[in-house]
Amino acid sequence: MESPTPALDDLERRLGVRWASIARARTKTDEILARLRAALEGLDDPNCAVVVTGSLGRGEADDGSDADWLLLVDGPSNPDHTRLHREIGQKIGEAIGKDVGRTRTFGEIVASHDLVHYIAGLRDTNINLTRRMLLLAESRALTNPVVRERVIRNVLARYVEDRPVSNKRDTGRYDPIPYFLLNDVVRYWRTVASDYASKMWERTHDGWGIRNIKLRFSRKLLFVWGLLASFSGRLFDDAGSLARAGTEDQFVLLLLELIREQTDTPPLELLARVASSSGVKNETALEIFSTYDEFLGALANPETRKHLEELPFDEAGTDPVYEALRRTSSKFRTGINDLFFEQHPLLPELIHKFAVF
Amino acid sequence: MRPIGFSTGALAKGDFRRGLLLQRPYQPRVCAVELSALRDHELPVLLEAARALELAGFRYVSVHAPSRLGTLGERELFEALSALPPEWPIVAHPEILHTPAWWRTLGPRLCLENMDNRKTHARTIAEMRTMFHDYPEATFCLDVGHARQIDPTMSVALHMLLEHGPRLRQLHVSEVGPRGEHLALGATARWAYARIAALVPCECPLIIESVVSEAAMERELDAVANAFAEAPAAQLQPAPA
Repeated sequence: MESPTPALDDLERRLGVRWASIARARTKTDEILARLRAALEGLDDPNCAVVVTGSLGRGEADDGSDADWLLLVDGPSNPDHTRLHREIGQKIGEAIGKDVGRTRTFGEIVASHDLVHYIAGLRDTNINLTRRMLLLAESRALTNPVVRERVIRNVLARYVEDRPVSNKRDTGRYDPIPYFLLNDVVRYWRTVASDYASKMWERTHDGWGIRNIKLRFSRKLLFVWGLLASFSGRLFDDAGSLARAGTEDQFVLLLLELIREQTDTPPLELLARVASSSGVKNETALEIFSTYDEFLGALANPETRKHLEELPFDEAGTDPVYEALRRTSSKFRTGINDLFFEQHPLLPELIHKFAVF
Repeated sequence: MRPIGFSTGALAKGDFRRGLLLQRPYQPRVCAVELSALRDHELPVLLEAARALELAGFRYVSVHAPSRLGTLGERELFEALSALPPEWPIVAHPEILHTPAWWRTLGPRLCLENMDNRKTHARTIAEMRTMFHDYPEATFCLDVGHARQIDPTMSVALHMLLEHGPRLRQLHVSEVGPRGEHLALGATARWAYARIAALVPCECPLIIESVVSEAAMERELDAVANAFAEAPAAQLQPAPA
């Protein structure tokens, strides 16, 4: 497997269930990534990486999935990047046979400078925010993974080097909450939700059904990943690495790397790690993962996907396919709420203290 | 003061005698040197001259093995390097080692270097772990320029020091350009290296690989010394049991 999922596998064993659609999506993702990597053989450059996001980045792809790709350039500009970009687009198009969508968020040359330097502030655009968050939360490199990792570390450095005042007050005790990252994660989730409304308006409801269902599941999962990654210093420092820091700067670098490790962890796997904690009820874990499995099963079915893509908005209240998935999404949300607000040994405190007010 | 000096290759390419001569005016400040035989045809010349080289004032001497094979086969290279004075660590790029069993016999004399982004291994923490698994007794040459090229935040370098610090034998210091060229240190490189300076033991030699002219040597010595000026006071705590 491209990205092993030991916590998810353990959870399945513990609960005595098999989430077949999740497993099938992981296998399908590996197949597609292998196909894309083979197609891009020879189109490498030491300062560039081809990165995929979306379902391929999360390990949740199916035959209907897009290849949301970017040519990430982290080095000197070069006119040949245009040719490289063109040839990559052609090869990916031949391998996948689908377009990358109409927003121009993907299928483009992206300079790392914008991702690293334009975080919040006037120059951070919606597209830049989206690319940055997806790079962190759900990306995989098709070529040159070192460049992807390098850009991710640089982005995280911007977030974690915004050091909390409390570090100055209590010398030797460093705060593991990266507030800047956490705030941007929350901002991104709200942006995604607002963009859904914006696209409803701009496209007069065209494709609303599939977007709505994704918002309820996979987009929400991205938010979950962002919150969990932001709390890495409290949730995932099993090796006690942060306690080794002798200075604030060492602490920052250790925290940065701890968060970066989560960028190689698929969101479902990260969620499974916290859902496996003591105190979390089996029914809660079942509710979260069984409903997500149902969602992936629905999207992998070409007829259901097409149905959702073409569903008129006026039929929202009566369509049985949409209505069934909407009800499933409510259970998913309930499970997430129970996990975050009630059952996990740390998350209720973290959410209460840091995520809202 | 940390031991500091240049790679002869950075100053004079394959002419190690000139590379040594150029450093004489800076002694005793300069007390470490790496004799460079980056092209394999330079190695027999170095081998012949090794025992008679004038190395007074150099407390630390290492040799940089050829970075690729042309005129020599791997066995000939191994035998030539083995015949050098045993107190000289042999700094090698992992990619030239095709027969690990031979190279393992060098024990800690074999000093392996982390690589830049043009290579396919020994670049990241995980790749270094694999490499040292294959060469359990080898020591470590941390090329801070290569590490910074892989990760400008220096988090990778920090973790390499955390994991392989006990093996550390020497540092390679330069600013590595986008095409792997070794340049004089700029401001951002100095700031980056200063972030890990406190984790480099005082006795660890700093070998400068920046390709600079004779006139720029002093400036480069100052720049490197300043970047690593912080004494190892704030060490990382031991890993929890």
